[in-house]
Amino acid sequence: MTLKVAIASFAHTHAASYVSLLGAMPDVDVLSADPDGASAPDAKPRGAEFAEQHGVAYVDSYDDLFAWGPDAVVVTSENARHRELVERAAAAGAHVLCEKPLATEVADGEAMLAACTDAGVILMVAYPVRFAPSYLRLRASVEAGLLGDVFAVLGTNNGKIPYDQRQWFTDAKLAGGGALVDHTVHCADLIDGLTGGASAKRVYAAANHVLHQDKGVSVETGGLVTITYDNGLLATIDCSWSVPDNGPTWGGVSLQVTGTKGSVEIEPFLPHVGGTDASGEVYLPIGSNFDASMLRTFLHAVRESGPAVAGKTPAVVPQPDGAVGLRTLRIVDAARRSAVSGQPVEL
Amino acid sequence: MSEQLADLTVGLIGAGNISHLHVSAWKALGARVLVHSEAGAPELAEQYGLELAPSLDGLFKEVEFVDIVTPSPTHKEIALAAIKAGRNVICEKPLTLTAADSHEVIAAASAAGVKVYPAHVVRFFPAYSAAYDALRAGRVGEVAVARFFRQASSPAGAGWYRDVARSGGVIMDLMVHDLDQARWLCGEVLSVYAVQNPPTVDGMSPVNVAAHVTMTHDTGAISHCRATWGATGTKFQSGFTVAGSTGVLKYSTEAGTGYSEELQDSGVGGDLLIPASTLGESPYLTQLRELAVALRGGAEPRVLASDGAIAVYLAEAARESMATGRTIDMTTFDPTGAVA
Repeated sequence: MTLKVAIASFAHTHAASYVSLLGAMPDVDVLSADPDGASAPDAKPRGAEFAEQHGVAYVDSYDDLFAWGPDAVVVTSENARHRELVERAAAAGAHVLCEKPLATEVADGEAMLAACTDAGVILMVAYPVRFAPSYLRLRASVEAGLLGDVFAVLGTNNGKIPYDQRQWFTDAKLAGGGALVDHTVHCADLIDGLTGGASAKRVYAAANHVLHQDKGVSVETGGLVTITYDNGLLATIDCSWSVPDNGPTWGGVSLQVTGTKGSVEIEPFLPHVGGTDASGEVYLPIGSNFDASMLRTFLHAVRESGPAVAGKTPAVVPQPDGAVGLRTLRIVDAARRSAVSGQPVEL
Repeated sequence: MSEQLADLTVGLIGAGNISHLHVSAWKALGARVLVHSEAGAPELAEQYGLELAPSLDGLFKEVEFVDIVTPSPTHKEIALAAIKAGRNVICEKPLTLTAADSHEVIAAASAAGVKVYPAHVVRFFPAYSAAYDALRAGRVGEVAVARFFRQASSPAGAGWYRDVARSGGVIMDLMVHDLDQARWLCGEVLSVYAVQNPPTVDGMSPVNVAAHVTMTHDTGAISHCRATWGATGTKFQSGFTVAGSTGVLKYSTEAGTGYSEELQDSGVGGDLLIPASTLGESPYLTQLRELAVALRGGAEPRVLASDGAIAVYLAEAARESMATGRTIDMTTFDPTGAVA
């Protein structure tokens, strides 16, 4: 059965990856819309021009996109616009893959979960690092007890500032903040997966604006977030946009996990062929495409679940789901408040 | 799995170390696998749920094509038998132990209208294929100087590996991967110079031995391959450095897999379902899928029988260079000793 998959907005840079991966799948029809693209201050193409460049069918409005009757919708809008599109998809009975973070405000996230639950549609959150083979091995090792009781985690998600391609990432209103919002959630999600959904009890964050002052951005560019979970686990996440603009690759993720019987460190984006070329350092990533694994998991669940039935839980609920999205959003929200007050926030 | 490979029945011949990697790949592709081997077939069949084929002829009758993973000296005879039975062939490297034998296999296959694909799996390792793509895209300009290395705990302590007549020695057995890589990345080979220490005496390879081979290519590039059968327990490593006119590409298996662990209880039971690879799909799976799709009439794979034959030819030239102390001119070299 051919699935109809809609891409709602090209605001997020990941839309390009999803468009090309979905386009290469034989049993998927893709239609896109990016009505807010025209008013975005981005130099890189948006809207119909972006669609043409990436070879994907395009309509001018969300009305036309939803009138098409998609089985599933991939929401890649600005963070603050996730809610309206997810609610609209739920109302149309379409299953949803929502770009991270789930939303900019906890109340929005709660409303999105409620809308999807009521409509009986899948709500999955786009955390692709969950599908990295190194993470799967780490999680299997933790589940098999090889590390004993895990008591501490140090995560990093450092990258270049996503400024050139899409300016909304540094717009406090549309993004919900800066580095704290953009990068805390990936590591928080990986920890969520290791703990089976432990809840954060207390969050402390320190943030600053030292990096990228030359770009005139008002949001925080550096941040350290320390989380104490309800099971006692402690974790700190460095979410800074601290990879220089001329770095050889966009950035990376690391997770160092310490247990009573051992420790494991993963760096899912590390394997590469290196070197130098005319424009500087070469970094050719090797290994599997995490976005592809994530999309396959989502579409498998969409197929298995079939059309949504209001009030009925989908047959397959793919992880990470909306609940993970909401737990990780609560951490970001607490981190944001802590960074302002200078004091830890109890949840 | 892709519909192109639906209802696949594969005849696996051999049940040694490498068979496990092939079987895992065939199972991942949903294939029915029949196995025949002088030894070890029942255990392998039991472990993976394969069917036993009591005879080669019986196996040929049942299967769509064969996958030969036996010791190197038996490749030729088994490949010829499969070809005679009209079956396509996938064969572990080296295709045969001499280029003349490889040509005999290729000629027989061509006459019978069947295909032979040598399993040069390194072409399917992500780092090597990324380098190939980058070079083809002109990322570092024209290749100037390339180096390849490969080391492993010596397999020559016991069994047939020490007998050069049977394994071909460290060059034919281990370096053949990089001889193929050098040609794949740098172009056709014009000359080969080789040294080995300690030397092979009376056809018996030293257990611990290193071989160095330097080649010139028709593109103007020069390349070096280093292969080592190290002390028992030597960690497997491989890598390359390719210097081009506008840049360099580098890779080593030691440069980081993105996974490291330090566990207090390392002696954990073997039945835990913990994935070993941290790079994603096994290159053996990538390889066997591409070869099987090609055998079903799909796109031509990235490695052909002629590539396997040439890799063997280069290994023979290396041995000739060691024997004579001379550089071997590949435009005239005839490994059968016939006067060109």
